[in-house]
Amino acid sequence: MKKVLIAVLAIGLVGMFVFAEGSDPFGKYDKTVSMNIGKQVDPNFNYPEGDNPENNIFSRYLLSTLNIDVKNAWQAGSQSDYFQKINLCIAANDLPDGLGIVTSQHLKSMVNANQLADLTDAFNQYASPVIKSMFEKSEGQAAKAVTYNGKMYAIPNIAVPEDSYHVTWIRKDWLDKLGMKPPKTMAELEAVAKAFVDKDPGGNGKGNTVGISGPQNGGKLYATFIESTNNAFGFDPVFGSFHSYPGFWLKGADGKAVYGSLLPETKAALAKLADWYAKGLIDKEMGVQKDATQPIVSGRAGIFFGPWWMGYWPFPDAFKTNPNANWQAYAIPVDSKGLYTPHGGMTSNQFSVIRKGYAHPEAAIKMANCLVRDEGTFDQKKATIGDYPLRVPMAFPDECVVTIKALNDVLAGRKNPSDFDTPDYKVYKLLYADVSVIRAVKLSPVDNLDSQYWDKSNPNFARMYSLLVGIGAQYRQPINKTMSVIWTQTKTMESKWATLKKLEDETFLKIIMGAAPVSSFDGFVKNWKAQGGDQITAEVQKESQ
Amino acid sequence: MPAKSRRLPIDHFKEGSVKNRSFSKHYLLMLLPGYLWLAIFSIVPMFGLVMAFQDYNPGQGVFHSDWVGFDNFKYLLSLSDAKSIFYNTVFISVMKILGNLLVPLVFALMLNEVRSRATKKVVQTVVYLPHFLSWVILAGILLDIFAYRGPFNHLMAFFHQKPILFFARADIFPGLVIGSDVWKEFGFNAVIYLAALTGINPSLYEAASIDGAGRFQQLRHVTLPGISTTIILLTVLSLGNVLNAGFDQIFNMYNPVVYSTGDIIDTWVYRSGLLNLQFSLATTAGMFKSIIGFGMITLSYYLADRFANYKIF
Repeated sequence: MKKVLIAVLAIGLVGMFVFAEGSDPFGKYDKTVSMNIGKQVDPNFNYPEGDNPENNIFSRYLLSTLNIDVKNAWQAGSQSDYFQKINLCIAANDLPDGLGIVTSQHLKSMVNANQLADLTDAFNQYASPVIKSMFEKSEGQAAKAVTYNGKMYAIPNIAVPEDSYHVTWIRKDWLDKLGMKPPKTMAELEAVAKAFVDKDPGGNGKGNTVGISGPQNGGKLYATFIESTNNAFGFDPVFGSFHSYPGFWLKGADGKAVYGSLLPETKAALAKLADWYAKGLIDKEMGVQKDATQPIVSGRAGIFFGPWWMGYWPFPDAFKTNPNANWQAYAIPVDSKGLYTPHGGMTSNQFSVIRKGYAHPEAAIKMANCLVRDEGTFDQKKATIGDYPLRVPMAFPDECVVTIKALNDVLAGRKNPSDFDTPDYKVYKLLYADVSVIRAVKLSPVDNLDSQYWDKSNPNFARMYSLLVGIGAQYRQPINKTMSVIWTQTKTMESKWATLKKLEDETFLKIIMGAAPVSSFDGFVKNWKAQGGDQITAEVQKESQ
Repeated sequence: MPAKSRRLPIDHFKEGSVKNRSFSKHYLLMLLPGYLWLAIFSIVPMFGLVMAFQDYNPGQGVFHSDWVGFDNFKYLLSLSDAKSIFYNTVFISVMKILGNLLVPLVFALMLNEVRSRATKKVVQTVVYLPHFLSWVILAGILLDIFAYRGPFNHLMAFFHQKPILFFARADIFPGLVIGSDVWKEFGFNAVIYLAALTGINPSLYEAASIDGAGRFQQLRHVTLPGISTTIILLTVLSLGNVLNAGFDQIFNMYNPVVYSTGDIIDTWVYRSGLLNLQFSLATTAGMFKSIIGFGMITLSYYLADRFANYKIF
C-alpha cells in the first residue's frame, strides 16, 4: 500500500515536473544543452580580462539561467563577411545550430531549401507573455514575416517605427559659428551646405570640408522594401522631401502598385542630388570611399543623413576626436508644403533561425524570453549587446514614444524614476533603467540638447543622446509616412531582382556623380521594364490587391 | 642556330637514360602535391557544373534539384551584362598579357646594358618587391594614392590640374587595373628574361663587336634572337590565362560606378553566386568562362608546339 502511494506520488511529481519544464518560458534545463551558432562580432570591442565574443557575461548568464552552453561555430568580423559566410552555409547545406541575424532573403532561401526547424509549437508553448503581446501589437506583421505555409520558421525582430524615419544630422556648432539658423527646406539646406564648404567653419583647410557626406563603396543610396530601415549615410530624407520613395513599391494613382524608383519624383530628386554633387556640396568621394564614418569622425563633414541612433555609432568616436562637435538631428528637409514626409518601414526584417534537426528548438525561444526580461540589467561595458546569442531586437511599437515622454518628465522634475517602477511600465524592457540614469547623463540646462551639456563619459550617454536628440527630432512635428505595399520578394524576383537592382544602383550612382546625364534615367526605366521588371510589377500588383 | 638545338630543360625527361629515369622519380614525387591540389580544387569541383543545367536548391543537392536544360544559358545571354562582362574580361586580360610581356622584356634589355653589377642587383630587387604584396594590401594603397584628396591629385595640383576622382571614372578604370598589374609584376617577370639573357654565349657579342656591330646592332642581331624562344614560349603560355583578368585585384578596386568597364566574369560570378544566392546562374557564367578558357589553352598548346617546340605530351 505504502509502495503504491509512493509510486503514485512519484509519478505525480514527475508529471508535474515534466509539465513545469514543458511550459515554463524561463525553465532551466536539467542537462546542459549545447548550441553552436554563427555570429558577427565586433573586432574592436574591449572585453574585460579573459572574456571574448564566445565567453562573456551573456554566455555565462545563459549557462546559469537556462543551462544552455553556447559556442561559436564560426564568427565574422564584418556584416558583409558574416552574410557571405551564411550564404556559403546555405549553399553547402550545412547550417550551424542557430544563426543570430539573417535577412529576409536568407530566410526565404533557407525555407526553400528546407533547412530550418519549425518553431510553431515551440513558440506557442514557450514564448513569454511579453513577447506574445509584442507580436500582437505589431498588427500581425511580425508573425507574417516568419510564416511560410502556415509554419513559423524564425524569430523576427520587432523594430520600433522610428528606425525607418531618417533624419538630417547637422553640425550645430558650425551653424552657430556662421550665425545661421537650422535649415528647413531643400533651399535652406543647400545654403547651409554651401556655407559650410565655402566658409570652412571647422577650420579643415580650403577644399577639405565636406558639405554633405554620402555612402561608402557598397553602401545604399536609400532604404528599400526589403531593407526598409536603418540606412546610415544614404539620402532618404532628400528623396522623401520630393515625395520620391525609390526602392519602395507604392500605390499608384490608379490604385495599382508601381515601383518608386521609376517615377518622375525620383528623377527630380536625382537631378537635385546630381546638381549638389556637381556644385561640390556632396562629398566627391561618396560611393567610392571605404568608410563612410571617416569624414564624420575626422570632423570634415557638416551634414549627413541617417537613423536616430547615431549616438551609438559613429558619434562616440567623433566626440573623441572633436569634443566641440555638436551633432544635432533635424526632421528635414520638408516638402513643398512644409511637411516631414519620410518613408515607413517593415517591423520585421531581421531574423534568428534554428537549423532543422536541432534537438532543442525551444531553446532559442527561451533565450529570447530572457533577453526581453533582463536586457536592462546587463552591464553594456562588459560586452556589446550584439554578443547576446541569437539576439534580434524586440520592442513595443510605442516604446520610443513612451520612453521619450518619460525621460522628459523625469528631467523636468514632473516625475521621479521610481514612478516607473510599476508592472505597466516594466513591459518596456529598458524604460526603468533609462529613467534611473538620465539625470546623471543629461547636464543642466536640461532643455538644451547641445552636446556640451552632456556627460559624454557616462556609459549610458550613447543611448540617452540617441533618444533625446535623434528620436526627439522626429516628434517635433507630425510624421506623414509612406509605406511599401509589399516587404518581401515575389517569385520572379528570386531569380531576376539582383540584376534589376544592380542596374538601378549603377544608374543612380552614375547620375548623382555626374558620370551619366540625368536623361539616362529614361533609358534605365525602359531597360528595367524589359529585363523582367514588367513581369515583376504584375506579380506585385496581384499580390498587393 | 637551328631551332631544334634550342632545347628547354624539360626535354631531358623524354630522352633520358635509365640513370636519368630513376633520377627523375624524385621530380615526379615532388609533383605529387601539385597533382593533389589540382584534383581537390580543379577536378572534383567540376562535377558541380551540373548545377548550370539545374534550378539548384541546396536542400535537395545536386542529385535531386530540378533539371531546367539550357534555361540558365538563355537567361544569361539575354542579360545586357553578359556582353559587357565578357568584353571587359577579354580586354583587360589581353592588355595585361601584352603589358606583362613587353614591359618586362624592355626592362630586362635595359637592365642588361647596365654595367655596374651593384646597381643592377639593387634595381632588380627593388622592382620585384611589389610582386610579393597581395592585392588586398596593394589595392588599399592604390585607392589612397589615387584618392580625390590623395598624393597623386596633390601632385597634379602643382601643374594646375583639377583633381580627378580616379576610381569613379569608367574610362580610366581599366587603365588603372592594367597599369597597376603590370607595375606589380614586371620586375618579377623580368627575372625570366634576365635568366635567358645570361644564357647567351659572350663570344657571340665579342664576334659581333669585332665585326663592327654597335650596341643596337648587337641587341638586334645577338640578344633578341638569343631570347626569342623564351619570348614566344611565354606568350603562348599566357594565352591560357586570357579569361583570368584578375579577380582579387578588381574585387578590391572596383565599385558600382565602374561596373560598365571594370566588371569581369569572375566578379560577376562572385556577386550573383555568393552575394545573391543565384547558384545556378553563377555556375552557368563560370562554365561559360571554362569552355572558352579550355579552347584557348588547347590553342596555346598547339602554338607552343609549333613555334617554341614546347610539348608536354
